[in-house]
Amino acid sequence: MPGHRTKGFCAAAAALVLCAVSAGCGGSGESVGGGKVVLRYTWWGNPDRAARTEQAVALFEKQHPNVRVQTSFSGYDAYKQKLAIQATGGDAPDVMQLDYRQIDQYASGHVLLDLGKVKDVLRTGEIDPGLLATGRVDGTQYAIPQGRGTETVVYDVKAWQASGVPLPRQGWTWNDWADAVRALAKKTGKPGATDPGQSEDAFEVWLRGQDKSLYTKAGGLGFTAGDLARWWTFTDRLRREGAVSPAEQTTQLDGSVENTPLGRGKATADFNWDAPSSGYRALVPTGVALAPMPSGEDGTPGQYFKPSMFLGVGAHTGHPKEAAALVDFLLNDDQAAKILGATRGIPVNETIRKDTAAQLKDFDRTVADHQASLEGTLKDPPQAPPSGDNALQTTFQRDYDQVSYERMSPREAAENYVTEAKAELRS
Amino acid sequence: MTTTDIPAPTARPPRSAPASERRPAREREGAAWVFLSPWVLGASVLTLLPMAVSLYLSFTDYDLFNAPRWVGLRNYTQMFTEDPRYWRSVLTTLTYVVVAVPLQLALALVVALALKNMKRGKGFYRSAFYAPSLLGASMSIALVWRAVFNDGGTVDNLLGTGGWVNKPGWALLAVALLTVWQFGAPMVIFLAGLQQIPAELYEAAAVDGAGKWRQFVSVTVPMLSPVLFFNLVLQTIQAFQVFTPAFAVSAGKGGPADSTLVYTLYLYDRGFVASHMGYASAMAWVLLLVIGVVTAVLFRTSRSWVFYASEGDR
Repeated sequence: MPGHRTKGFCAAAAALVLCAVSAGCGGSGESVGGGKVVLRYTWWGNPDRAARTEQAVALFEKQHPNVRVQTSFSGYDAYKQKLAIQATGGDAPDVMQLDYRQIDQYASGHVLLDLGKVKDVLRTGEIDPGLLATGRVDGTQYAIPQGRGTETVVYDVKAWQASGVPLPRQGWTWNDWADAVRALAKKTGKPGATDPGQSEDAFEVWLRGQDKSLYTKAGGLGFTAGDLARWWTFTDRLRREGAVSPAEQTTQLDGSVENTPLGRGKATADFNWDAPSSGYRALVPTGVALAPMPSGEDGTPGQYFKPSMFLGVGAHTGHPKEAAALVDFLLNDDQAAKILGATRGIPVNETIRKDTAAQLKDFDRTVADHQASLEGTLKDPPQAPPSGDNALQTTFQRDYDQVSYERMSPREAAENYVTEAKAELRS
Repeated sequence: MTTTDIPAPTARPPRSAPASERRPAREREGAAWVFLSPWVLGASVLTLLPMAVSLYLSFTDYDLFNAPRWVGLRNYTQMFTEDPRYWRSVLTTLTYVVVAVPLQLALALVVALALKNMKRGKGFYRSAFYAPSLLGASMSIALVWRAVFNDGGTVDNLLGTGGWVNKPGWALLAVALLTVWQFGAPMVIFLAGLQQIPAELYEAAAVDGAGKWRQFVSVTVPMLSPVLFFNLVLQTIQAFQVFTPAFAVSAGKGGPADSTLVYTLYLYDRGFVASHMGYASAMAWVLLLVIGVVTAVLFRTSRSWVFYASEGDR
C-alpha cells in the first residue's frame, strides 16, 4: 500500500481497516515501492514448465526494467479452484493461463479484459485465424491460445519394448489398446495403463471415435447414459482383470503427472495431453514415448488438435498495457519462444513455429514430431465446452470412483452422471 | 457498509475540555464506542453482514460471475429431494460425529485422569498432549497425515494394510483419527474439572468402602458432568463443521468414492468448484439450523444427567 505517512496515523489506520474489510481493496497490479509496476502471472503446470517460465519471465523483466512479475503455479485442479475464487473476489491475476473450459465462463463473467483494447501492444497477426478464434466469445477476443495440443498415449518405452508386446501404432483401435494393456499386465506384472475411466478427456476421444461428442452445438449433452455405461463397463472390466490401474491408484489422480500410476512407477502407460507429458521424463528414468490415441473400431479418429491453453488479462488489472506486453512477449518474442519451447504446446506464432521447429530439442522435438505425424489425419476440434463442464469434470471422476470401488454398477453411475450433467448444463 | 454507524466525532477524546462535566453520560458513551469499535466493526462487517448476504443468496441462483437470480426455495427443495450426494454427505458427517466425538472425549478423559495424580513431569505431559491441538488444525499436519496413511506411507509399512486414505471403508477413520488426536483442549478442561473435585468426597467414599471404580462412577463422573457436558457440546458443534482434515486427506475431493465427503466439504464443492453459491449458502443455513437443534437437544437431555454441586445444597 502506498504509505502516506504525512496524513497521520489515524488516516493510515482507517485506511488499513477499510482495506481489510472491503475485499477488493488494492486489487491486482498495484505499484509497490521503487515505482515498479508489479504484475501477477499465474499458470498451472509441472516443474519443467515452471523452470522455463521463470527463465522467460526473467528475460521479460530485463527488457522492461520498470516491471516486476510475480509468478505462481500449481497443479491443474488446485489452480482451477484458486483462480475461480480469485476471479470472483475481483482479484484475478493480471495475466492468467486459462483452459478451453474456462473461457466461456470467465468471459461472460467479466473477469477477462477485451484484448481489442490493447491490440497495439499485443500482436496477433501471426496466429492462425482459426486458432485465434477459439479465444473469442460473442465476437470479442478475450484470450489468446498459447499452443496446440493433442491427447496422446504416453508410455514407458523401455518397459514396453522389454515386454515384447507390439508397440502402439498409427490407426490402432480401442480393442487393440485393450489387448495391449492386458498383454503388458501379464508380461510385466503391473497394470498396463492408468485406468482411463475417470478421464472425461479419454471418454471424449472414445466417443468421437464413434462420431459422437461430449456436447451438442447448443451446449447440451451429446451422449446418452447408455454410451457412458458402455465406456465404464469397458474400463471397469479391464480394471477387474488388472490390466489397468486399481481404484486405489486411480483415485489419486489430480491432474499432475506426479500422482499418476505411470509417474509413480505403478503402470506402463497413461493417457495425457502431449505437452505436459514432458513431466514424466523426470519420473520415468527409462524414458517415455508418445503414440496416437486409439481410434474407433471402424478407424474413425477420436483424437483432435485443441488449443492447449490460453493467456488472458484480468479485466480489473491496473496495468493493462504492461500485462498485454507480457502476453505479447510470451507469444511473439523469439527469445522467449526459444526458452519456452513446446512446454505449452507448439508455438502459435507462425513465424516462430517455422523458425523454431528445427531447433526444438529433447521432448519438445518428440511433441512436435507427434503432432506432425497426425497432421491431416484428425477431425475438427469440438467447439468450446459450455461453462457447466468445469464442474462436470470433477463429477465425472467422482462417479467413476463409485464404479471402480464397486459401489455402483457402470449403468447406475452413468445414469447418475447424466442426471447431474443435465441439471448442471440447464442452470 | 455499516462502518458509518459509528459516531465519528467521539473518536477524538477532548483532552483539554473539562466542559465535559456538562455531558458526562454522552462522553462515557462515546468512550465506550471508541473501545468497542474494533469489535463492532468486526462483528458487523465480518459476521452479520456476510450472514445476511448469505441468507439472501440461499434463495438465489448465483454463479459468482453473474448477478444473483431469485429462485425462492428451489435450492432447499433441490437439496432435500433431488441431490443424492447431499444425503450422502449428511450421512458421512453424522458417522464422523458419532465416531470422532466419543473417541476424542474418552481419550481426553483417560489422559486427564492419568495426569491428575501425576507427581512429576505433569507440565511436560500436559504440554505434549496439548501440542497436537495447536498444530493439528494446520494444513501441513493434515498433509503429513495424508502421507502417513497413503499407500507406501508409514501406516502401510507398519501394518501392511495398504493406504487407508485410498480405501473407502477406512478413509473416514483416518480423518476422524486426525481430530481425535487433537484431544488437548477437552483434556485441559477435564483436568481443570478434576482438580475442582473436593478430596473429601474421595476420602468419604473410601471410608464407606468404595473401590477405585466405584469412586470413579459415583464421585468423579457426577462431579465432572458439567465439564463433560461442556466438552460434549463444544466438540459436537466442532465435529459438525469438520473441514480441513477431510479436505486435506482427500486432496479436496472427498474421495475415495465420496467416503470423506463431509457436509462442509460438499458445501465447498458446490460453492467454489461448481460455482453454485446460492446452493452452498442454503446448505450453510441448514447446517446452522441442525447444529442449533442438536445443541438444544443436548441441553434438554443434560437435565437428566448433568449434576451441578449447587443443586445438592438445595
